Amino acid sequence: MIVEKARSSLGTIQDSFLATGDSLTALAERTAQVDAVVTQAAEKFLFPAAASGLAVLAVGGYGRRHLFPYSDVDLLLLFESERLALNSREPIAAFLQTLWDSGMRVSHSVRTPAECTEVHNDNIELNVSLLDQRYLVGDRPLYAKLADKMPRFITANRDSLIRNLSQLTRERHEKFANTFYHLEPNVKETPGSLRDYQLLCWLTQMRETEPGRPGQADAGPELAKAFRFLARMRCYLHSRSGRDNNVLSFEMQDAMADQWRDGDPAKWMREYYRHARAIYRAALYQLEANEAQSSSLFAQFRDWRSRLSNADFSVHRERAHFRAPQRLELEPELALRLFEFVARHGIRLSFEAVQQMEARHPQLREHFADPRPLWPALIPILTLPHAPAALSSMHETGALTAVFPELEGIECLVVRDFYHRYTVDEHTLVAIQSLWSLKDAAEPGLKPFSDLWAELAPAAPLVFALLFHDSGKGKGEEHVEASLRLAEKAMKRIQMPPQDQEAVRFLIGKHLALSAALQARDLYDPQTVRDVAHQVETVERLKALTLLTYADISAVNPNVMTPWRAQSLWQLYLSVYNELTRELETERIEIDPSASPERREFLQGFPTRYLRTHRDSEIDQHMALEERSRKRGVAVDIQRIETAYQLTMVTASDRAGLFAAVAGTLSSFGMNILKAEAFSNRRGLILDTFTFADPSRTLELNPTEIDRLRAIAERVIAGKTEVRELLKNRPKPALPSRHARIHAAVAFDNDAGTSATLVEIVAEDRPGLLYDLASAIAQAGCNIEVVLIDTQAHKAIDVFYVTASGKKLDAQRQSALERALRRAVEPA
Amino acid sequence: MKKIEAIIQPFKLDEVKEALKGIGIDGMTITEVRGHGRQKGHKEVYRGQEYNVDLLPKVKLEMVVASERSDEVIKTLAGAARTGKIGDGKIFVYDVAEAIRIRNDDRGESAL
Repeated sequence: MIVEKARSSLGTIQDSFLATGDSLTALAERTAQVDAVVTQAAEKFLFPAAASGLAVLAVGGYGRRHLFPYSDVDLLLLFESERLALNSREPIAAFLQTLWDSGMRVSHSVRTPAECTEVHNDNIELNVSLLDQRYLVGDRPLYAKLADKMPRFITANRDSLIRNLSQLTRERHEKFANTFYHLEPNVKETPGSLRDYQLLCWLTQMRETEPGRPGQADAGPELAKAFRFLARMRCYLHSRSGRDNNVLSFEMQDAMADQWRDGDPAKWMREYYRHARAIYRAALYQLEANEAQSSSLFAQFRDWRSRLSNADFSVHRERAHFRAPQRLELEPELALRLFEFVARHGIRLSFEAVQQMEARHPQLREHFADPRPLWPALIPILTLPHAPAALSSMHETGALTAVFPELEGIECLVVRDFYHRYTVDEHTLVAIQSLWSLKDAAEPGLKPFSDLWAELAPAAPLVFALLFHDSGKGKGEEHVEASLRLAEKAMKRIQMPPQDQEAVRFLIGKHLALSAALQARDLYDPQTVRDVAHQVETVERLKALTLLTYADISAVNPNVMTPWRAQSLWQLYLSVYNELTRELETERIEIDPSASPERREFLQGFPTRYLRTHRDSEIDQHMALEERSRKRGVAVDIQRIETAYQLTMVTASDRAGLFAAVAGTLSSFGMNILKAEAFSNRRGLILDTFTFADPSRTLELNPTEIDRLRAIAERVIAGKTEVRELLKNRPKPALPSRHARIHAAVAFDNDAGTSATLVEIVAEDRPGLLYDLASAIAQAGCNIEVVLIDTQAHKAIDVFYVTASGKKLDAQRQSALERALRRAVEPA
Repeated sequence: MKKIEAIIQPFKLDEVKEALKGIGIDGMTITEVRGHGRQKGHKEVYRGQEYNVDLLPKVKLEMVVASERSDEVIKTLAGAARTGKIGDGKIFVYDVAEAIRIRNDDRGESAL
């Protein structure tokens, strides 16, 4: 009788819920119905055997009357003594069997009041479930004993209970990669879910409990709304699935949208993420506040961090606050400075700062809608050590879309795909985080990517490209084109310099090129490698694109970037890198017939790399420089490019040691050469470029030194001044620490080019290194045909294509040159 | 019943899956593996250092089919995976004693 009644009334509750969508009524009715069944069964089977000394309690979700249609029914059988419990085994079995037969999944425990008021470090769930205990039936004085003890127990053990609960929550969040932006979320378990809502209730309850009075479980009215939304979803999932299913799969999203929301699951899901965000944010805030309170070491650190406060922001309890939030209205750029502060120190925003920023979203948006030179202010946010945290904060406060309204289309956007785990905006942020994770990557398979990332400069265009690479998704068209369009608009508005725009355009435009090759092309086929090489065109672009691909794939879901896939990506990088450096020497420009005769003549014979690495305006400058060089046989130009300088020289009279002489001139001025390239065209015109840093700011503080450097460089090139003389007085460089030393390597490859030998030198960088290397090559009677110099922190990677008497080097000359180069790279 | 195990080139995976789907074979297990047969690894030089690439990335497919279908499956699989070059991979065929569907204890071919 009990059984049939229970089964039929569950069906009625579900039917009426599906018709009305009223989950709170469904939960209350289901609870009342189960209460009746449990009471009836207890009276029939338990109490005849134990008339006193036993009470039946509802605990957990059932205890708080949040019983979803197929949730476990958590019961506590409270016995006065263990002996009585042991003697009641048979009645307990009959009682439970009846409940199971009624279609309930019963989860029961048998305890004495003393056991209920102990801290169970290995069974935290027991302590937690008791917070929601509710008397159902049986020995009331016995229950009163427990009810009386509970507040005292909670007050006495508050810290350890909260600590255990926090740990349990952190472990659960970790399982879901600490994000609520899952495409198919679990409404009970994922961050921002019902479990987090409950956490907030429990924390309030424990905090407010006093020795003689239990606290109220309450998470505030705003979150109560979120709870109602999530409860409705969970009720629906249970009713539709006929089991305890809490995963909001794509099918269920569709079905639910059909049921209640004009068939648009995207709208429905956006609302879900909004509520999940509110709950998750509040839960994190509470967790951190509690963790901070319970750790004295952390408190000391926190005090130390508060010293980071400055005129704009103060740091309290490890959170950044605006000193004067109203200034945001007059000075919206203050918001960007706050994110730079986060990117620099890794300090999270305070709750108040988030709210102050959210409240001013319309003003911020309006301010940033006008074209402004924002790029210099954005670079630190995109590149400083805690950039991912800064970008997440921007996202959380809505500042990201205030600065870049172009990203609004991907906010909480679900793109249904078997492999993708996150919404598009979250995927973008996870991708950027994946890049940063490379910094500490210890796995051998990731080390090469980690090196590549450490070397990459400038990094800001890559991070910007990642931010926008999928921005065009969800527009019902091919997303690469749409993303490009959106990025284009944003770059123009923030007045990004043309060379960075170029880099971003390339990265977004080709962001699928390497993935496509990995998936559908034979990586060992030379044609594949050539095709990819033609798409990326330069080593610099290849590096950035490889990192972007690594980040993009890693952010699809946490298991996609397997060591196997990482190895394949690295293999592709290696092959394309080698292809690009090999073709440096051989491949010559195919002249565009529509170009002017002067331009055609100028470009004749330059390698294709020249065209790929120089914009039209630069080629015009080089042609003007050639014009200037006609009078005196040489022309030198020096320009400032962001934080570095570039020297370009053009001369028609090549001679041994020319490249070394210019490198030496720069060294004699204390300049540090970062990059250098040498080109020559068919008419024997030599065009070399040197990018160099000015560590002592000589040129910046004494602008006339630029003219002097130019004049001396011209004299050296013309052979009128000896570079050795200039170098006599150069200061001895300080050696880097022993730990930082880089093992020097000199390698020869005679197969890499068709007419020259490739010499690759990896060495500890130092001022004058390039001069020493180039001099050693010149003194060994070799001619530098092509040169590609790169510096990565303390590591110099120099590639020279050299010939001797117009031919590749034979074995004898190779070993002589190797000895000379090894002498040159040895630390002085 | 036969178990068919194929080691193929990763870039051929989609093509092979499509071809098998075309003859009604949907169920299979796919694993990312590394190895080499006659297509030995090779060395890459990068920035003056040699990288040994001796184990090449491959994909392993496993499926169990009714014995009378095995020839057709093998033919389809090989046809889709073939490029004619070294490194195309191998197919191994085993006899299967029993198949059991855990959910409902179906046995034999009905469990496939």
